[in-house]
Amino acid sequence: MDALIRLDEVTKRYDNDAAPAVDGVSMQIAPGEAVAVMGPSGSGKSTLLNMIAGLDRPTSGTVTVAGERIDRLSETGVARFWRRRVGMIFQFFNLLDDLTVLDNVLLPAQLAGVPRGKAQARADELLAALRIGKYRQAYPARLSGGQRQRVAIARALVNRPAMLLADEPTGALDSANGELIGGLLLDLNRSGQTLVVVTHNPDLAARYAHRTIEVADGRIAADAGVGARR
Amino acid sequence: MRGARGGAVARAVRGGLSRRRVQTIVIGLVLLASTGACVLALGLVVDSNAPFDSAFAAQNGAHAVVTVDAGKATRAELAATAHVAGVTQAAGPFGEVTITPGVPGPPGYTGRVAAPPMTLAGRASPGGPVDRLILQQGRWAQRPGEIVLSSSYQHGLSLGAQITAGGAPGTPRLTVVGVADSIDQSADGWVTPGQIAALRAPGTPATAQLLYRFADAGTAAAVRAGIAAVSAALPAGAVTSTQSYLQVRAQVSSGIAPIVPFVVAFACLGLVMSVLIVINVITGAVVAGYRRIGILKSIGFTPGQVVAAYTGQVLAPAVAGCLGGVLLGNVLAVPVLGRTATVYGVGTLRVPVWVDVAVPVAMGALVGISALLPSLRAGRLNAVQAIATGRAPRTGRGYAAHRALGKLPLPRPVTIGLAAPFARPGRTAVTLTAIVLGAAAVTFAAGLSASLTRVAGGLSRAQADPIQVGLPGGGAITRAGKPQPSAAAQQRAVEAVLRAQPGTLHYTVETTVQARVTGIPQQVPVTAFRGNAAWIGYAMISGHWYRAPGQVDVPTGFLTVTGKAVGDTITLTAGHTQIPVRIVGEVFDTSNRGLEMFTSWQTLARSGLPLIPATYDVGLRPGTDPAAYARALSTLGPGYSVSINTNEAFFVTLIGLIGMLVLLLAIVAGLGVLNTVVLHTRERVHDLGIFKAIGMTPRQTIAMVVCWVAGTGLLAGVIAVPAGVALHRYVLPVMARAAGTGLPASYLTVYHPAELVLLALAGTVIATAGALLPASWAARARTATALRAE
Repeated sequence: MDALIRLDEVTKRYDNDAAPAVDGVSMQIAPGEAVAVMGPSGSGKSTLLNMIAGLDRPTSGTVTVAGERIDRLSETGVARFWRRRVGMIFQFFNLLDDLTVLDNVLLPAQLAGVPRGKAQARADELLAALRIGKYRQAYPARLSGGQRQRVAIARALVNRPAMLLADEPTGALDSANGELIGGLLLDLNRSGQTLVVVTHNPDLAARYAHRTIEVADGRIAADAGVGARR
Repeated sequence: MRGARGGAVARAVRGGLSRRRVQTIVIGLVLLASTGACVLALGLVVDSNAPFDSAFAAQNGAHAVVTVDAGKATRAELAATAHVAGVTQAAGPFGEVTITPGVPGPPGYTGRVAAPPMTLAGRASPGGPVDRLILQQGRWAQRPGEIVLSSSYQHGLSLGAQITAGGAPGTPRLTVVGVADSIDQSADGWVTPGQIAALRAPGTPATAQLLYRFADAGTAAAVRAGIAAVSAALPAGAVTSTQSYLQVRAQVSSGIAPIVPFVVAFACLGLVMSVLIVINVITGAVVAGYRRIGILKSIGFTPGQVVAAYTGQVLAPAVAGCLGGVLLGNVLAVPVLGRTATVYGVGTLRVPVWVDVAVPVAMGALVGISALLPSLRAGRLNAVQAIATGRAPRTGRGYAAHRALGKLPLPRPVTIGLAAPFARPGRTAVTLTAIVLGAAAVTFAAGLSASLTRVAGGLSRAQADPIQVGLPGGGAITRAGKPQPSAAAQQRAVEAVLRAQPGTLHYTVETTVQARVTGIPQQVPVTAFRGNAAWIGYAMISGHWYRAPGQVDVPTGFLTVTGKAVGDTITLTAGHTQIPVRIVGEVFDTSNRGLEMFTSWQTLARSGLPLIPATYDVGLRPGTDPAAYARALSTLGPGYSVSINTNEAFFVTLIGLIGMLVLLLAIVAGLGVLNTVVLHTRERVHDLGIFKAIGMTPRQTIAMVVCWVAGTGLLAGVIAVPAGVALHRYVLPVMARAAGTGLPASYLTVYHPAELVLLALAGTVIATAGALLPASWAARARTATALRAE
């Protein structure tokens, strides 16, 4: 398998005296895969995702994404890596309340130095595709949870990242909106977007991912459907 | 139970202190700086008068010294003035006479040289009901031919020295038998009462001095009223001159008085800044701690305990800062008070203990009140609401600013940073004010330092007239003296040497003669220059340097005492000749309290007195080293004195003190900014995580965080520059008035346009300096940690 994401013996400790949050995990994810990382609360699945995203550093082991050792990158290097490779969506959306929907979506492109016209065109395209174009000048506080998560997805995709990481993307949504967001993620994966979703929802994992990694006590307890494609 | 509750509050205070180390340090440092400035200011204000007042009370000083023409009032009439309404105590009449003393000349001279005129009073003993003299050395005069000198008039004379009484019949000799102090400076020396008549020059009227204490003497008006009552009790014209103790006090305290206004200005700035910053710190701590407050209340903290917990978090570092500030203020006061102590001759002078106690108590109370208001707000918070609301700014605030600034062609982190202050308008206003005050202090200090440098240069004239060559005998050779070689030979020798020096630009010679001027009781030194002396470096306050015979220039003190103005004509009496002269200029000079005159050689020659050159003033070509030039003049040989004019070291101390105070205030302002940015960073830590999670680099993060306050800093600078310039324009003349002088306009116009632009950036510099540290903390924060933060 030609891996897009590769973890080798990755351990993460927040406290030297406590048990590791992630304990010697090794795994690979290929381009175009849709992977669900599952496990109970506190199992280490979000920590695993954060290390893949470069948001957190492993205490030991290596994290390689698209051939780049991101565990060794500086803060600036991580930021540049993010712009090129990663789009991330969060359970609680993490939108900036004082920026409009459009400004939220534009921001990663602006930070990456994309010309304003080009960035605006891409943002408009995404907002239309996600059916929230009419809210482009609204503030996040006025939107429903599902609308906010769609804004977060648009923001995550604005720089055309190599992989989309999602941490409990439907966790804060009602079932209808959860279905909607799940469907969107599925569509994105079908169009070739690599997808890693952390969830504790077995239904979401079963319906929208073709590989499920189960994490327990910081270790991989099971890895089903490796290399599968929908 | 009460102990348990107290322990809970103490634990909450300790917890708050350890959670908010930066704010704790900021409060401590702010209080340190502002308390230090206040202790220094109040200490100087008190000490500018306290030593005089203590000595005045101990010596039962006279509120007024009145000199009368003894020929116009009988002894009974004079004695009756002791019973005039308002007079509580009186002494005298003591016979008074003015002599021109001849004192031994410098080594190598056979004659005696004339010392400045000396006013003698005849007193049988140093004691009495009023103006009790303090005998410093020797004993009191007991017989004719003995004199006790005032310590302010020693001129190198020691016990046993002999002086001749110039002007008195037979030029009698007086032997110095003692040295005494009069708090009123009522005379330059004292002899036995019977000696006075023998010392009076033929044809001069007999005068006597009376010393009075009044029931009301707190103000100049009250003293004037007392004097008027005494004068009214005497025949018309009997009173020839008067002197108020307030004049003496002002003169004695003039060394420190000019410093007080600017130190007070700095102290006020520091005080306001510390209050603002404390309010900002506490309000910020309350806002940042909303959730914590909610949790404290949900576990049983009463509103009172919450108030105590938050007030305690402030008072602990505030008390430490205040105590440190007392120490700092005392240390800063050492060089200034050292000079004052020298002026008063009181040995050492320290910041009074009550100042060391009152200032920190007052500052602590101020801080306590500042902390109490937001703490009360914390105490009133609803627990559920506090936990739910957290520390988010009110929704909607600053959105329009984001939208508007987002359209600017600037990097997005910059526009996001610039819009941030609009989310917290109250905090921004307080921060803006703190930076305005800090930047205004910088502007004020820059101008003050420049002005004081010019003042120092103007007083010393070190730039225009760096070298002075004194002739043997100092130009005051009495007719009995016989200088070796002759005065003409001395001048030829000096001028030959000066002309031979390539560094000589120009020179002139001066001499000084004592003269009488209507309206001034004592004699006034008149300095005459030969040839063109317009280059000599006296700065003009108004009018111009004399251009023709019959014109004089005088300092402000002269105009104040005589009530004259530039353009007026006065009559000076030199020797026995009256010379009408026109005042054409007011010069900047504080020597002899401004009681002096400058004119041309021809003007003074009209007196008929033999004018003997005393000193050559030498201007040097640009690039000439005054020290090397002075060494080259050693060929003149012994007897000639060569001195280099330098700025008074005190001004260096003063400018250093200004620098220290402004540094303190700039640090306080910078700490205020740091505190604001820390609060903002805490509030927006989650947003910072989002920014980083969507690709914001550390450099972009620093730029954004610095821009949170950079715009505020720039605005503050623009406001602060005119404020600082206005403060300079106000305080400097106040300082000058305290020193008894006016100021040349050039000493006030010290700001160059380019300098003002740079000073306008002072606010940005303070803001950036204060923001850089928390900005780097924000840039280093791990994204996952920030995203997890609530």
